[in-house]
Amino acid sequence: MDFLSPVLAGFGVVFQPENLLYCLLGVTLGMLVGVLPGLGPAATIAILLPVTYNIEPTSAIIMLAGIFYGAQYGGTITSVLLRLPGEASSVVTAIDGHELAKQGRAGAALGIAAIGSFVGATIAIVAMTFVAPLVAGFALDFGPAEYTMLALLGVLLVTTLGSGSAARSLLMAAVGLLLATIGQDPLLGTARFTFGSDELLDGIDFVIVAMGVFGVGEILYNLESLRHRTPPPVKVGSVYPTRKDLAESKGAVARGSLTGFLLGILPGGGATMSSMVAYAVEKRSAKRPERFGKGAIEGVAGPETANNAAATSSFIPLLSLGIPANATMAIMFGALLLQGVTPGPLLVDEEPELFWGVVNSMYVGNLLLLAMSLPLIGIFVRILRVQPAILAPLTILVTMIGVYTVRNNVFDMFLVIALGVVGYLLKKTGFEPGPLVLAFVLGGILESAFRRSMRTFDGELSGFLTQPIAASLLGAIVVLILLSLWRAIRTHRAATKKETDVTPAEHQPEDGDEQRDEHPAEHAR
Amino acid sequence: MRIPSTIRAAAVLAAGALALTGCSVQGGGSGEGGGDYPSRPVEFTVPTEPGGSTDLITRALAKSLEEPLGAQIPVVNKPGANGKIAGKDVFSGNPDGYRVAVMPQSLFAVGPLVVDDPDAITLEDMTFVKGLTVEDYVMVVPSGSRFKTVEDVLAADGVKYGTSGAGTGNQLAQALLFGSAKVDATAVPFDGGGPQLTAVLGGKVDVGTVHVAEAYEQIQAGALRPLVAFSKERLKALPEVPTATESGYDIVVDQRRFVAAPPGLPTDVRDTLASAIDKAVASPEYGKLLEDNHIGRWEVGGDAVGKQLKSARDGFRAMTERLGIDLSGQS
Repeated sequence: MDFLSPVLAGFGVVFQPENLLYCLLGVTLGMLVGVLPGLGPAATIAILLPVTYNIEPTSAIIMLAGIFYGAQYGGTITSVLLRLPGEASSVVTAIDGHELAKQGRAGAALGIAAIGSFVGATIAIVAMTFVAPLVAGFALDFGPAEYTMLALLGVLLVTTLGSGSAARSLLMAAVGLLLATIGQDPLLGTARFTFGSDELLDGIDFVIVAMGVFGVGEILYNLESLRHRTPPPVKVGSVYPTRKDLAESKGAVARGSLTGFLLGILPGGGATMSSMVAYAVEKRSAKRPERFGKGAIEGVAGPETANNAAATSSFIPLLSLGIPANATMAIMFGALLLQGVTPGPLLVDEEPELFWGVVNSMYVGNLLLLAMSLPLIGIFVRILRVQPAILAPLTILVTMIGVYTVRNNVFDMFLVIALGVVGYLLKKTGFEPGPLVLAFVLGGILESAFRRSMRTFDGELSGFLTQPIAASLLGAIVVLILLSLWRAIRTHRAATKKETDVTPAEHQPEDGDEQRDEHPAEHAR
Repeated sequence: MRIPSTIRAAAVLAAGALALTGCSVQGGGSGEGGGDYPSRPVEFTVPTEPGGSTDLITRALAKSLEEPLGAQIPVVNKPGANGKIAGKDVFSGNPDGYRVAVMPQSLFAVGPLVVDDPDAITLEDMTFVKGLTVEDYVMVVPSGSRFKTVEDVLAADGVKYGTSGAGTGNQLAQALLFGSAKVDATAVPFDGGGPQLTAVLGGKVDVGTVHVAEAYEQIQAGALRPLVAFSKERLKALPEVPTATESGYDIVVDQRRFVAAPPGLPTDVRDTLASAIDKAVASPEYGKLLEDNHIGRWEVGGDAVGKQLKSARDGFRAMTERLGIDLSGQS
């Protein structure tokens, strides 16, 4: 049992009282930070870094890791209750989660999210323990060409996320892609659409866009309706998910764990991609996909499971390759270096206690988070009972503080207000911000990855076909498009046939083809 | 009359914002004159996201500097525009020594070759307090690569080389090397050293050039092979790797970091800060961090910092012009 003995020794490290304490401290802080919109785990870890100097490396990393995955639990809460996604990976949760909250089922959404998160993370830790060295190479297989195709696939999926028409989703996605081009050219460093402003030179941060068009936009919209009528107090309903909710989410949690684990290994955007892919998968595999966007519990369970599994597996590139997969991991990397530990391929052998201590602490941390979040749901949902006139300014204030912490920059606070107005106008005119925000995230990846690929392929588009993974992804994209077209044609035919057969008034609304039943043509027969 | 009210609201907001930004800049007066400096916390600004090399060095320095300086040292990250946002912010403040920044040489020596920015921070916009570190670059290939030596790379055709982005020292070093050797090579810029290294390890580009610390663990693990160093002398960490100069190309590019303050910093304040930094960098903790991460010491005085930056800036420009290398339009 050569392999298992260091793993078991790692548990010995975790169960030292002070490490348990640091773990508890970390996850509690993480959850709090997650709840505060805008203030992300990256900023928190940076602030807390000086505190860790005098702590033992293993304990310090256990605590910092706890902040990171704890924030994933907390982020869901504002996403569901206030439609304020604080992390790119919980944007899709806001879509159905907030609908559920409006229906008085916030407790169910949060409960499922907590349970899904726990299951997803635990599965990912187990997988990490046994296959980390094997899958670490997976991160290296993804180069520019593969990211191009992955991002392209993502943009395609984005258009299926909205509950409105496909055309509107596409339009929003296009706006998101355009917004992503603001700032320095990713390859040449030339300024684009900055109007000479240094503030825009780095482009707009994702948090700013998400907070603006989702959160602030939503608040403005609600304030407007406040003028016309006093909204009925939101029912809080049952605090816990029902047996039916659990049964409905089982598949979503299982699928989310797998997508999350695999995509989380990829550096850059892994967690975000995984939550989007999980949402799209759930919508596609659902018996009644039209419920999505109107409060489908799987729309919360899938992405929330996936983003936690991804958060866990994003430790793999850091701990086994020495490559930080995202901004938070980069700070964790710095924290390790400051502690005199250099993460890299040799870490497992050189510092087995640290490696397995940190990995195993995640079991404990997730258990603590689950134990904390379930009882807290009852308290958090009471936020919904607060008068909008009080809640709205408070939320804006907290958001502003959070936004400031992203870059310690006042300009961003104005930007978030401006984007909030945009979000409000979008909502008023019936456009959905979801595709915009997600396409914005993908836009940056898509552009730089595509242009890097073109350089490595000497400008030949056919180069994508020479890379097995990229070519397979391209194949999947083509199949998806063909499938959608075929469905659209069938529904169109069915609709016209129906129109001639039955009364014209009954014809189906021209929704996106994704929203339809699996076999709409059969209804017509 | 809805419009005027919105304008008024905007004006109020703007005023509020001014007041906010004002807070951080003003409040100098009290500490003028080196006698009682420092009488309150001295803020160190890092012009990058947390986690990078500048961040790491600054935090390690701040940790050891609090005691000799006798003040608290908060570290604040203000990323943006390759350091310009932080630089403009700090160097436009009062020269009282309570807000300083740790800046990289590349911003002044390589950046101008890539982007023509009339509004760029110049060497005259700062008071140089103290030099800190120097980091060398090494060119690496995956261990399975067909390239065994730097000569193999330079004899090849259509080489794709990774860089850590536009305006970085490793972009310049490689462009100079391939330019001097007249090799047909294409730069593939990545978003930082980590992503570049990932691409090299995965064989997505043929070669890459990173800081010694970034590649060291992978070299030890046998995943990467170092080919050539862009340092003046052979690297202490990798003594078997030849320098570019030994290979016949006189190319020395490194990354240096230094502490700078707004222009017009009183000499006594500068000396107080510099001598406290001298004590801090002598601490075993700081020394261990440098050693662990293969970061060299460059603890020269402020004037020497200015001289080095100027000679690097002029030297790099002359070299690129002589070789006809245009880093900005590099494709």
